[in-house]
Amino acid sequence: MRRTLVLFATLLLLWAMLSVLNHALAEWRAHVFAGGLFVAYAALHQPRRSGLAAVMLGGLLCDAHTPVVFGTHLLLLSAAHLTLFHLRERLPREDNLAVTLVVLFANLALFLVFTFTQLPGTPAPGAVWPRLLLDLLWSQVLLTLVTPWFIALQAGALALARVPREDLP
Amino acid sequence: MPSKRLDQARPFVTLGVIVVAWLLVPVAVKAFLRASFFELTAPITLAASRIRDLQDYWSLRLHSKDELIEAGRDLARLNASYELGVQRNAELQAEVARLETLLRLPSFTTYRYEHARVARRDFSGWWQRIVIRKGSNFGLPVGAPVVFTGGVVGKITEVHATTAVVDLVSSPSFRIAGVVEGDTRPVSYQGGINPGFAPPTGVVELVPLDVVASPQAPKRLVTSGFGGVFPPGLMIGTITRAAMGGDGLFQSGEVRLDERLGSLAEVTVLVPL
Repeated sequence: MRRTLVLFATLLLLWAMLSVLNHALAEWRAHVFAGGLFVAYAALHQPRRSGLAAVMLGGLLCDAHTPVVFGTHLLLLSAAHLTLFHLRERLPREDNLAVTLVVLFANLALFLVFTFTQLPGTPAPGAVWPRLLLDLLWSQVLLTLVTPWFIALQAGALALARVPREDLP
Repeated sequence: MPSKRLDQARPFVTLGVIVVAWLLVPVAVKAFLRASFFELTAPITLAASRIRDLQDYWSLRLHSKDELIEAGRDLARLNASYELGVQRNAELQAEVARLETLLRLPSFTTYRYEHARVARRDFSGWWQRIVIRKGSNFGLPVGAPVVFTGGVVGKITEVHATTAVVDLVSSPSFRIAGVVEGDTRPVSYQGGINPGFAPPTGVVELVPLDVVASPQAPKRLVTSGFGGVFPPGLMIGTITRAAMGGDGLFQSGEVRLDERLGSLAEVTVLVPL
């Protein structure tokens, strides 16, 4: 329970920081999406149940602030978490570069799937793509820069709350 | 071997269970969860907004007294012209009321003006909305129109305890009946295409064939007042292009919206009385 709450607290911090950033970027009609970062640490380093619970809470948090069918983020992030969890034994989880690449691929997949769920309501779906691709580019650049820091922050938060890391003996 | 296969399928079984369980959750529970998560994070949104206000305050404190005196003088001039406008407005309102009585016309909806600071802006390619720092604590209703000096901002879609969410005029979910200024025939407006680093735009349909609009000679699109949500005559945007639609009966085109939509700091909610 404590592990889930600490992980959720870090996701809440991530959401707050993204909100502030997107508020500032609105002046230039830009937006960043960081779905991949919501799932990476929980999927790669945490036990399945508590990691999934935290990711699901993070999904509900995102759903509450977006005009989408309630549960869209919950299901997308859960799917991403379970897929990464399934693959994690085959990934070099302790390598920062590898983790960043995993986050980038997860974010790309989540962004594209999320976009396809939103396009039916758009008057001219073809005309929206240049803007979406630009947003995706900013998002990936941001994730490349902040992923190692955020993963370290989540590990640090768990250590601070005296929650043992799952992969330690 | 079967146990290994079962182990491999486990994440997908778990996902299936989550999907089925979520579909079975009653709508009331989902609505409660949405409201709870929004309210849980409202203090974060409000705190960030107040910190920004504080930053603005301290940056304004750095201005010299000469600059403040100049700004005060400019404001006094503006106030004088606005006072004239207010007098003229009162005169016109009295005239409208007299004509309504004389012709037994239904009167226009009257509004209470509620000014609110913008706490959060969200300008993604999928939607555009803002969160304002007033909610049910100031009696804001869902569906109330929101305006600013440049015209229509949007419509309130969610009201919470101390905040409200406004769907912007540039958002694909925003639709409104408008008229080309000087014309009485309604056209259909929908927000939607928002290129990065450029003004937001929307699309307009059912434009009569005799309306000619181009980037060189744009036409102003204003609210029609139909439906009773927005008062008539508020600026939506300018039609910069109109071309024959697929049906051959009407034109469709592009509407350029106000650039300031992305940097709004304060808006006014029109609360129907």
